Amino acid sequence: MKRTVIKRDGTEEPFRTQKIINAIFEIIQGLEVEDDYEIVFKIMKELDLKVPKRVATEELDQLVLKAIEQLIPKHPVYDTLATRQLLKIIDKDINRRLDHFRDYLARGFEENLLDESLKEFDFELLANSLNFDRDGLLGYFGLTTLKDRYLMRDRDDQIIEKPQWFFMRVAMGIGNSNGEVIKIYNKLSKLEYLHSTPTLFNSGTTTAQYSSCYVSVIDDSLDSIMDKARETAFLAKYAGGVGTDVTRIRATGSNIKSLNAPSSGAIPFIKIFDTLVNSIQQGGRRRSSQVMSMQPWHLDIDGFLDLRETTGNAYFRTPSLNTSLWMPDEMMRRIKEGEPLYFFDPGECPELVDAVGDDFRAKYEKRIEQAEAGGLKQFDKRDSKNFFKKYLFKLAKTGHPWLIFKDEHNRHNPCPEYSVINSSNLCTEISIPNHSDSTAVCTLASVNLSKHLTDDESDIDWDKFEDTLETMTRGLDNVLDKNFYPSEPAEKNTMDLRPLGIGLMGFAEALVDLGIPYDSEEAVILARKIGAFMRKVTYRTSQQLAEERGAFEHYREMKEAGSPYDYKPRRNAVLLAIAPTASISIISGTTSSIDSYFSNLYSRDTLSGKHIVINRQLIEDLEEKGHWSDEMAQKIKANNGSVQPIQELDGVINKDLYKTAYEIHPERQIDIAAAFQESIDQSVSKSLYIAERMRDDMEEFYLYAWEKKLKSTYYCFIDKVVKGEKYTEEVNKRGSRKGFGAVSSDTGSESSNGTSSKPGKEEQESVSDREELEARAREKFGDEVVDQALNADAGSCPTDPMLQKICPSCE
Amino acid sequence: MSTKLIGRTSVRDNIKLSEDPSYPIFKELYEKQKKVVWFPEELNIQQDALDYHSLTDDEKELFDTAVGYFCSSELLVQNVLVNSFFPLLTDPHAKMSFSTQLFMENIHSDFFEIVLQSFGLDREKMYDVAFDDPILRKKQDLIVDEIDKISHGKINPETLEGQKQVLRAILLNNIVLEGIFFYSSFAHFFALKDMAKMKNVVSGVELVLIDESLHLQNGIEAILIMLDENPEIVEDTEYVQDIRNVILEGTSLEIEYVKHQFGDRTILGISSGEMERYLKYITDRRLQELGFQQEFHINENPLRFLQKEDVKKLINFFEVSSTEYTNY
Repeated sequence: MKRTVIKRDGTEEPFRTQKIINAIFEIIQGLEVEDDYEIVFKIMKELDLKVPKRVATEELDQLVLKAIEQLIPKHPVYDTLATRQLLKIIDKDINRRLDHFRDYLARGFEENLLDESLKEFDFELLANSLNFDRDGLLGYFGLTTLKDRYLMRDRDDQIIEKPQWFFMRVAMGIGNSNGEVIKIYNKLSKLEYLHSTPTLFNSGTTTAQYSSCYVSVIDDSLDSIMDKARETAFLAKYAGGVGTDVTRIRATGSNIKSLNAPSSGAIPFIKIFDTLVNSIQQGGRRRSSQVMSMQPWHLDIDGFLDLRETTGNAYFRTPSLNTSLWMPDEMMRRIKEGEPLYFFDPGECPELVDAVGDDFRAKYEKRIEQAEAGGLKQFDKRDSKNFFKKYLFKLAKTGHPWLIFKDEHNRHNPCPEYSVINSSNLCTEISIPNHSDSTAVCTLASVNLSKHLTDDESDIDWDKFEDTLETMTRGLDNVLDKNFYPSEPAEKNTMDLRPLGIGLMGFAEALVDLGIPYDSEEAVILARKIGAFMRKVTYRTSQQLAEERGAFEHYREMKEAGSPYDYKPRRNAVLLAIAPTASISIISGTTSSIDSYFSNLYSRDTLSGKHIVINRQLIEDLEEKGHWSDEMAQKIKANNGSVQPIQELDGVINKDLYKTAYEIHPERQIDIAAAFQESIDQSVSKSLYIAERMRDDMEEFYLYAWEKKLKSTYYCFIDKVVKGEKYTEEVNKRGSRKGFGAVSSDTGSESSNGTSSKPGKEEQESVSDREELEARAREKFGDEVVDQALNADAGSCPTDPMLQKICPSCE
Repeated sequence: MSTKLIGRTSVRDNIKLSEDPSYPIFKELYEKQKKVVWFPEELNIQQDALDYHSLTDDEKELFDTAVGYFCSSELLVQNVLVNSFFPLLTDPHAKMSFSTQLFMENIHSDFFEIVLQSFGLDREKMYDVAFDDPILRKKQDLIVDEIDKISHGKINPETLEGQKQVLRAILLNNIVLEGIFFYSSFAHFFALKDMAKMKNVVSGVELVLIDESLHLQNGIEAILIMLDENPEIVEDTEYVQDIRNVILEGTSLEIEYVKHQFGDRTILGISSGEMERYLKYITDRRLQELGFQQEFHINENPLRFLQKEDVKKLINFFEVSSTEYTNY
């Protein structure tokens, strides 16, 4: 096929393979690879089918990128090459418009995209501090994500930021001096820590909204509901996640005094927020979202549990909202001990809302007595086990509502005089006292633990870790005064309490480097140690900050009022929160939060499309041991990203290091979260990964989470059983049946005549024996097991290649 | 009576479920289908509205045609099923499995209808695209003409000829239409998501794919069982050759279509050459599943981005509709 390249200026030239080959060699340069010719050959082979008859120069660059991208699951080197190719595309594009960092800044100011305050910095000094080599630290998925959503665009929607300019711009929006900016830039660009997405989007820009989440409270009045709807709209506009407590809204049938009529209850009002959030979600770079929180003794709880169902009355369904339960200890105790649960109308029993711990228990029991004596207008009594089962069923089915423990959050409230903690936020890591006039705000950043190991990977580099934590504490505290607050209650809460949320990511990656399996007691011990260290360093820094800049307002007020808190003055009421770090862990190319690797090979859906993620550490390990090959890659894929069933790796690598999320017992997952939670003053957001076969034990796991004193749980992932047909690997649906191949003929059906080596009579007999055996095996063990066995590596079983998975001697 | 899967039935027949089903596979397939039931309301399709407007003309055309094609084809599948072989199923579990398929085709129609409305597509044009576009029409004709022949004439399932006709209907419907034509369009959708476009719609298509792969299995099982029960069928070499030819004809029509659609250019980073190779790969699989030899001997899916559909998925829930929850 003769192919033509159309150049930028419209002229045409014949397509020349050599030119492309040279370009690929160029991006390989400087990379340590075994055989660069082989790599180029493989890429060219992928590319060949892709290039159409007529192709534009820029498109050709894209197609080369796509060709490399397809090879990523084969080896990490392709990930590096894809990153380099994408960098080349980004650079080429920006270089056409902007020559230098200063040109970018000038354009930013000119188009009113960058905040004027950045002009105070020494641009020359900052420009000289840029280090473009650090682009190489980014992985392909990370760079794609940056390019699609984070790199700043001008008013014509053209990208004007190179990755290093981006890191510098973010640092300029956080640091207070040239020195501090450079320090923050260095840490960010080395991916040692990252701020949360809204900060990365907006830092240093004219939309200086740095915070990730807001937590508000709705009072039991139409005024309050509509006020909060308005507040939500503005918080959502700036891409913040909003958490909202709706427990106070009176239940269905409760009397409205001014009308002397019954109320329609909480659910229809929640629907307002669903519509609101959905309408704001349509635009912007990141979907805004909201979570509604309710204490489960609320009489409308059944409607609340159904909010995320997909069938039923649309007015009672909220597909755009998330939901969570704010569960008191007393109710958990009743569930555990099988005592009945009672449900009340907060309009009639308002004292239950604010009450926590033993106080709640006493008030709840009092209401139970009253109810049983016929003294309440409305209540309900239910079997607690049934209720909990129903709840867990909804959780597994719809993913909502999440379970969060009210009393554990409030036990650690540093400012109970300010307010109770009324609910957590969307991602369940926030634990800040709030009320209807004070909306909690949290500004987050997370350390990348995998970049804080000693050179020999024998331990955490505690000094470096300490330095990063100090930088983060100071940086985040700066941000609170630069931040734009979309509502008054939000500004008030921040100025009163100055809460920070310093978290962690890359825990699992660091564990693998340290040689510690996630599923081990050692991992739990390390988690405890890291949590305690984070607390020690950040609290010390905050105490220093209090000396320099003053303690948080509410602390000072309490002191002046003569009832001081019993802890040392510090700048921030709370400092630590372990967030899920979904997006920023992708940018950093590490494991999210404190989670294990999800799988060694999986795909991830985000706003930047679908990406294949491979466990680079595993491949490097296998490669070192000489066990990495296309066949091994295929095997890992066939096992859904698990290495556990692959027998030939026994003794070759430490398989325990590479257990995937569903292979780690949920109780161990909880233990690790609990070990962190001991020191984290806000909350640890913990998703649970439950294998399908453990689904019946969910009740146990959630009780265990409560007993282990987790404050929050987040998503409950249950391994999906029924999947689509595998697209890229053989699946034997026919089994041993012959179908159209049953009779030998010339019609191209699959029978003995198809193979080049026609079996002789003897062989045929043994074939039929084999078939019989196979048929029996199918009957006994099911098709799946037999097919697995048949497709497995024939070399590994000395006795019977076919039955290796079934025969007990090999099990 | 020695009942076969396909036979003459009365409304009085097979209304009892047995604990020990004659065809346990259909019970299993029913159970699997039950687990993956979903509703279009679960997906936030409107979320993709801005995305849709930013598609290039080529991409829009590809997307629109794929949507239009599914709009009418999902209901076509229903027609074929109901008019040709559903009344001839003699086994209650087989009926449950195929009627669950029918139900899910409703859901798919519903889903694509919502997609049509959400992006303001020209519905008349869309519903007619499969018959108005001369090349797409050939594809539909292959199915429609054949099935009409079967369902207008009286099938006598008691005869070998009748069994053969029914088998051919199942083949056209569940293998050629659902197993080849649909899989071609699936790839177009997945390519969109690969380029971070139309993510929520494509999440829905992922669910459709799960369903369709079960439907495909329904068809394969029915055919294999029929062959088992009527060993004479495979002895008719002309018939066997004919069946193989029908599959290959479907493939060549689909290849003609993608060549026309992609032309000399790439759309979403895919060229017609890749699509052609992909279709041949899919066809080889279908042939093997029925016991035929491969035709093209392509053992690797050239559209490698599709392996993203094969591995476990982790989703940023707050960004994209999830397809990872099961129903119970």
